[in-house]
Amino acid sequence: MTALKTASLAALVTGALTGVLTTGTALAADTVKIGYQLPLTGETAQYGQDFRKAAEIALTEFNAAGKPFKAEIVFEDSRSDAKEGTNIARKFVDDKEIVGVLGDFTSGVSMASAQVYKDAGMPQLSQTASHPDYTKISKYQFRNIATQAQEGPYNAKWMLSKGYKNIAVIAEQTDWGQSVVSGFTDGVKANGGTVVFSEFFNRGLKDYRSLISKLERAKPDAIYTGFFYEDGAQFLRQVQQLGIKTPVYSTSAAYSPKLIELAGEAAEGVHLTSNFLPTDPAPHIQHFVTEWKAASNGAVPGQFPAQAYDAVRIMLAAVEKAYPNPTREKVRDALAQTKDFPGVTGKTSFSADREAEKELVKVEVKGGAFVPVAD
Amino acid sequence: MIDPYYLQQLAIGLSLGMTYALMAIGFTLIFGVLNVVNFAHGEVYTLGAFAGLVLISATAPPIFAVIFIALAIGAMAGFSLERIAFKPFRRFTDEASLKSRAMRESTLLSSLAVSIVVREALEIVFGSQMRSVPFEYLINTPVRIGPVILVTGDFIIFGVAAAMLIGLQYLLTRTRIGLSIRAVSNNPLGAKYVGIDTDRTIIMTFVVGSMMGAAAGILTGLYYGAIFPAMGFVPGIKAFVAMVMGGLSSIPGAVICALILGISESMATTFVSSGWSDMVAYGFLILTLIFFPNGLFGARRERV
Repeated sequence: MTALKTASLAALVTGALTGVLTTGTALAADTVKIGYQLPLTGETAQYGQDFRKAAEIALTEFNAAGKPFKAEIVFEDSRSDAKEGTNIARKFVDDKEIVGVLGDFTSGVSMASAQVYKDAGMPQLSQTASHPDYTKISKYQFRNIATQAQEGPYNAKWMLSKGYKNIAVIAEQTDWGQSVVSGFTDGVKANGGTVVFSEFFNRGLKDYRSLISKLERAKPDAIYTGFFYEDGAQFLRQVQQLGIKTPVYSTSAAYSPKLIELAGEAAEGVHLTSNFLPTDPAPHIQHFVTEWKAASNGAVPGQFPAQAYDAVRIMLAAVEKAYPNPTREKVRDALAQTKDFPGVTGKTSFSADREAEKELVKVEVKGGAFVPVAD
Repeated sequence: MIDPYYLQQLAIGLSLGMTYALMAIGFTLIFGVLNVVNFAHGEVYTLGAFAGLVLISATAPPIFAVIFIALAIGAMAGFSLERIAFKPFRRFTDEASLKSRAMRESTLLSSLAVSIVVREALEIVFGSQMRSVPFEYLINTPVRIGPVILVTGDFIIFGVAAAMLIGLQYLLTRTRIGLSIRAVSNNPLGAKYVGIDTDRTIIMTFVVGSMMGAAAGILTGLYYGAIFPAMGFVPGIKAFVAMVMGGLSSIPGAVICALILGISESMATTFVSSGWSDMVAYGFLILTLIFFPNGLFGARRERV
């Protein structure tokens, strides 16, 4: 299947390429190339497919806006495999026309590829890599996601302000999951709360009931969780099955309409943070939501596709700033200067260490939808 | 008085063990009893679940129709699986080939190939995302018994597993087809010489075993409320461990070991991090292979 998909993908990319090239010559305009490495097959394919869809929306808009040049994105399938990721990175680096790279999906693969980009001086912007060490690799690594070092303390303060002093933490056993626990635990300790229980579970675990029973024995006031929607839905459903009423808080990673679809009423009352609200009436957000729905049978976009959409637009804006004759170095400098970029995931600026400074929104699940709440 | 916490963990372990047992019964029938190496059982399980899901989303059928379609798809899957991955290896009927271990064990790869093709095909058609089951079909309404909370699905799965186990024991020990299955597994050549239609017997076993696998898939799908192409992998491993622990050829042994596995996993969560609880299954597998090479219940050589 992988071969099949790669073949069709290659056909697609070539098709897009010739399309862009012909229109390019017709208008006598320049074409600037950007690389995008993301998982299009394998276990995390659903995320990569969404990113590609979001990137294509952003790209079509950009090329239709009558800019002095046309942009083109080369998609490569990394299968969320670090080895594959580095191969793609070498390929992108060797292509002299590519001035910037987007991706990868996971922190692990992004960090592996970053080593190649660091040596070649290629700017890399990941829409989702949230491991604290990623942007520390070199001055070429940027990300468009709030890290757990930002989100953890924010959520810790939120929960403590609600009077939950004893908090249990669980997270998936990954680099990201560990940053969830450490970021949150630091925040709780700094603000006078106690973490009474903390444990990791394997991604894709089906039965959380043993873990939930064990967790409840620590008698927490609330539970803080680091999971994605698949695991989240199972967890929430089994919490409800066991008749446990302890409030559950989570990170923006669980923010997906699929969470509510899979967990149903068990998701009611879950609190989490997000920086994207598809219900926000602002015109640019509604524009993206409409485009996304048209491209995906009416489904509402989650936070990750929104981050990918913004990441592509931030990259394109940086290329535009570096135009004419954009080089990798000029694009990097333009990216670093990004300030108050009006994205669908809020205004984004890059700090001196290339972290996206995001405004977080507090959200609660009410009546089968994510509803923003004041506290 | 026992801490109700441990009672709850015991109940969770039992229900976990029942879902493994459900899978292990059909698996052991084909792999252990018939003595045919089959690694595609997990995909039969997934196919059963998807068949039920497609029917549920297309019409709004009663639950029995869902189980029925899963059984029908399971029977078809078992028949086709045997035809594609197993029959070609039986086309040589000379004595050397019939006795050859290599011929018999080559189905390890052919069945693995079928399982990969099926899983990836499901991924192309349905996508790799988890698909939700409409809530009215779920079998996980909580039921409280004293200090312990179970769900309706636990009782349904228990009932189905018990019926499968008793039915199979009856079939294998009291009927002619059962007798021929045991004869074929014991000595295919000998069975052929005394006039047993070995092809038919093998196909029948595949059909029955795969029906059980498909039923396990849809029940577990309705129990956890999530159906996805890779769902057969983990239960397949647990069923394999239960079968080896139970002595390969004993279905009651596999069921008991599946329960032991479930209880050990849920109890282990109390003492070690949940991230390590999968280690229990593999640990048991290694211990069994070292200390009980015939399995805990495999001392007798008879294959039932």
